Amino acid sequence: MSGAQEGKQVIPLADALARLAALEQANKLVEADDLANRMLAAMPEHPHILHLGGIIAYRNGRVAQAVERMEKSMALAPEAALYPRNMCEVYRGAGRLDDAVRAGQRAIALAPSDARAYFNLALIHYERLDLDEAVRIADEAIALDPAFAEAHFEKAEALLLAGRMKEGWESYEWRFKLKQAEGMLPKTDKPQWEGQPLPPGKLLIVGDQGFGDCIQFSRLIPWAALLCPQPVLACSGELTTILRQIRGVGKIVTRWEDTGDYEAYIPLSGLPRLAGITTQNIPPAGYLTPDPALVKSWGERLDRLTQKDKRRIALVWAGRPTHKNDRKRTLKLEQFAPLFARDDLTILTVQKGEQISQVGGYYGRAPLLNLGPEIADFADTMAILQHVERLVSIDTSVAHIAGAIGVPTALVLPHAPDWRWLLAREDTPWYPSLRLFRQERAYDWSGVIERVCASI
Amino acid sequence: MGTVGQEKLDQALCRCASGLRRVRCCDADISAWPGLAALEVLEAQGQETVKLFNEKQYAEAEAQALKLLDLAPNLRPALRVLYEIRKAQKRGAAEEALAIRLAALPGEPTVRAAANVLLAQHYVGQGRYAQARPPAAEAVMASPKDATAQHVLGVVLTESGELQAGERHYRRAVALLGRDDGVVLANLAWNLKLQGRLDEAVAFYEKALTLRPDNRRGQGGYAQVEFARGNREKALRLLDEALARWPDDRTLRLLRAMGDLAQGNAEAVLARIADAPEALHATELCIRGQALARLARPVEAVQHYASAKQLQRERHGQHYQAEEFAAKAAAYKAYFTAERLQPLPRAAPPPARQPVFLLGFPRSGSSLLEQLLGQVPGFAMGDEFSPLADLSRAIPALAGATGDYPEVLDHLLVGDGGALPQRLRQRYEEARMQLGLARPDVRFITDRSASNPWQLGLIKLLFPEAPVIHVLRHPLDVMLSNLAQDRRLEANCNASMPALARHYALLMSLIRHFRGQLTLRYLPVRYEDLVTDTAPTLGRVLDFIGAPPAAQPPEALLRANSAMPPGPLPAHFSGREPVHARGVYRHRAYQSHMPALFAEVRDILDPWITELGYAEAEA
Repeated sequence: MSGAQEGKQVIPLADALARLAALEQANKLVEADDLANRMLAAMPEHPHILHLGGIIAYRNGRVAQAVERMEKSMALAPEAALYPRNMCEVYRGAGRLDDAVRAGQRAIALAPSDARAYFNLALIHYERLDLDEAVRIADEAIALDPAFAEAHFEKAEALLLAGRMKEGWESYEWRFKLKQAEGMLPKTDKPQWEGQPLPPGKLLIVGDQGFGDCIQFSRLIPWAALLCPQPVLACSGELTTILRQIRGVGKIVTRWEDTGDYEAYIPLSGLPRLAGITTQNIPPAGYLTPDPALVKSWGERLDRLTQKDKRRIALVWAGRPTHKNDRKRTLKLEQFAPLFARDDLTILTVQKGEQISQVGGYYGRAPLLNLGPEIADFADTMAILQHVERLVSIDTSVAHIAGAIGVPTALVLPHAPDWRWLLAREDTPWYPSLRLFRQERAYDWSGVIERVCASI
Repeated sequence: MGTVGQEKLDQALCRCASGLRRVRCCDADISAWPGLAALEVLEAQGQETVKLFNEKQYAEAEAQALKLLDLAPNLRPALRVLYEIRKAQKRGAAEEALAIRLAALPGEPTVRAAANVLLAQHYVGQGRYAQARPPAAEAVMASPKDATAQHVLGVVLTESGELQAGERHYRRAVALLGRDDGVVLANLAWNLKLQGRLDEAVAFYEKALTLRPDNRRGQGGYAQVEFARGNREKALRLLDEALARWPDDRTLRLLRAMGDLAQGNAEAVLARIADAPEALHATELCIRGQALARLARPVEAVQHYASAKQLQRERHGQHYQAEEFAAKAAAYKAYFTAERLQPLPRAAPPPARQPVFLLGFPRSGSSLLEQLLGQVPGFAMGDEFSPLADLSRAIPALAGATGDYPEVLDHLLVGDGGALPQRLRQRYEEARMQLGLARPDVRFITDRSASNPWQLGLIKLLFPEAPVIHVLRHPLDVMLSNLAQDRRLEANCNASMPALARHYALLMSLIRHFRGQLTLRYLPVRYEDLVTDTAPTLGRVLDFIGAPPAAQPPEALLRANSAMPPGPLPAHFSGREPVHARGVYRHRAYQSHMPALFAEVRDILDPWITELGYAEAEA
């Protein structure tokens, strides 16, 4: 006898677990959630269902439930190495870094030859700003699996954040082996440029990373152009208007078919390594200039749209949601409340993308002008920034624009920021007009906006 | 050739109760009606029927009309006789069906005009102004020199809110009559009152009531104008005189009770409107409820308000049009996105007189803000006389495109469409000018149209840099204040408190959407600040708008709220009071007496209470 109720289909547990894992891997999170809930209702004490159910809850944004399920799974199966390995990452998401370290160490103890367990722990040490430890653990992962691109990249980020630029740039080259880097470089048998002179137009420079990186590293194009005049620049269409301004740049293309007959290529983010960039020899900012006609027309518009007796503060509070660290860097508009309570300010939001809809829920005292819908491209943004006293921004492309044109900017950063902002300093050698406001505790913005507000 | 036997005839009488067979009435095949030549054969009998009717031989006239119409359903004299008889018998459906048929018959222009006037008057009598418009317009087009037709169209347009067009037709009627007519002049005076042109309205009322002192509605209207002009004593005296003459007139009694209330005499309201609650009309219930509220009897007040709403729902079929407006909001949100709006052309350069758009759910305080702005030199009050909604409807025709608003705005991207925002702006400004708002000293004109939340997209195209001031008030106070009113609101949302709450949430979410997708020069202002901290709050608004700070009157003068700025004056001036804070968080007292009063709307409004920053006030 099967014991099954009439009308109910019974499938073996192993099949159900495989199906659950497959749904999670295939990003079918709603279906996975449903199946996990049904399986947990039938077998609430099964450690692997709890574990998978926890991962699915985490990926659906229910962090507390994820922690609860996964802690239970670890208690039920304390020898399963996979559980603390994944728990480590979930604790990171929950902001419980001490617990994450313990889980990561437990995972390594249970599976000392599992490179991914080391990698997960290295990530936690980065978040805690234990950078030497992050590098050491990443090295252990690399020792176990020399082709482990994520571990190399993590090591690079830790080294660069610590200011160990020369070593960092070397590891940084692994970024193109990351899964998410697919398609960033041309499919070609041409070699990567190694700094040798080339005839005019024969070097292809690829704007490979996000907009911010491209803006930041574009200052090195003139250096490359000294060796290879008129390099071809392949970049996203949104950047062409501003990167055209860079001294020495040749043709700019937005499609691989238009690159012409180049002899070698180099990603824009590879130039710092070749140029031997350290914190001491970064080419100065000021390499972009707003269009005077746009500056004039935006000035006239803003004079009509804002009050003369108020100080203009530009604001960006959210980044591109697909960015790997977006959860760490993005805030909600309402978190800037200390600014909104000020009677002497007008807030000009230069935010683009879906997050502009948050403006609809703003009822603060300071007038707020949602300029995003009128901004066509970075050229508009640059022109607007000429008419504000300061930009307040998260770590996103607009901050780079402001830095490149020398607009005073308050940049709010997570506790463990992106490597380029280095450690424990309020300034940055990349952009002298930026002042950095860092989280004092990981994932905790309290006090940060108050400090920004007090500085205005 | 065969013959049709009596037994094969369709003998069923028409459902409209005209007395005609249905195949000769509402189900008739119009294409089979007799032609003009055939009708001539019956003309003499038709006139005979009219003669019988005029000689008051109604039974005979009716019988003959029915026979003739069975032969020829389009025989005008017989149709007219039957119409008059059914009208006298108050057979509404038959009267309407016959009037529609009469109006559609071909014939001499003057005859056609008369028939269309009849139909229009039928609709006007029932308050169906939208349906009255086509026959009223047809009458004027058929016979433009017909003063009655002009007058009826004036009534229809005035009651439809097209005040300036209504005024034109009233004046044309007066000119065609070649003499002063008491009824036409009183209607013209009411039209001018609605336009806020109070001094002119008084002059016409005085003339009209001299000619027709028996015009009760005119007497009431005149009193309302004097009230709005601040001549309260005179207004009350006029009402007292009228009530002495027509003591049973409930409209006059109601107006007098409103006068009592405005003077703070709540006891007098209760004494004046003392009928059993079940015998009261909705407006009477509301005024009595307001008086009870003033006397700190909130439970009875709410009972009165609830009875009024119930009456409107059950007797007058007022039901919230939830689905229709939710669909409209969804369509607007789908269209008006930043991506779609960004490439659309805008009118330029900045206008000589800047419109200032006021937003606010009814009873939020936008009329108070307009009254205060009206006291500031350089401002004119546009109230709800906005042509924007009409303009949005006219866009398909103006753009030479098919499709509905807002999708038709895509045509602005094509060919001459780029010039359309400028043309629409000119039309808007012309309409404001015709209202007398564009005085030489005026720099800012408020626009407080109830449709503004829907029009923010169009506003952005016509006046890209116009200030938009949104008056916010605690949502539960807004509910309570609307509950106390018998005022028809958009979508019939006044039908109940849940309907009010749902429509409030719908409009707030629409405004939120527009703000998220457009670069609007938007400032939220709180009613609570406006009534407790009047001058500084108005100062913030003026500063935001860009008005010179020196223009602002002092606090005491503002709070008195009694200055009489140049006209035209908005309708809400008649209810003007000194600025007071009685209404701030009024819901708390009601809630303490009736803990379940807002239970039905909590789920809808609590998120808004939080979002608007009123959660602390709640706690």
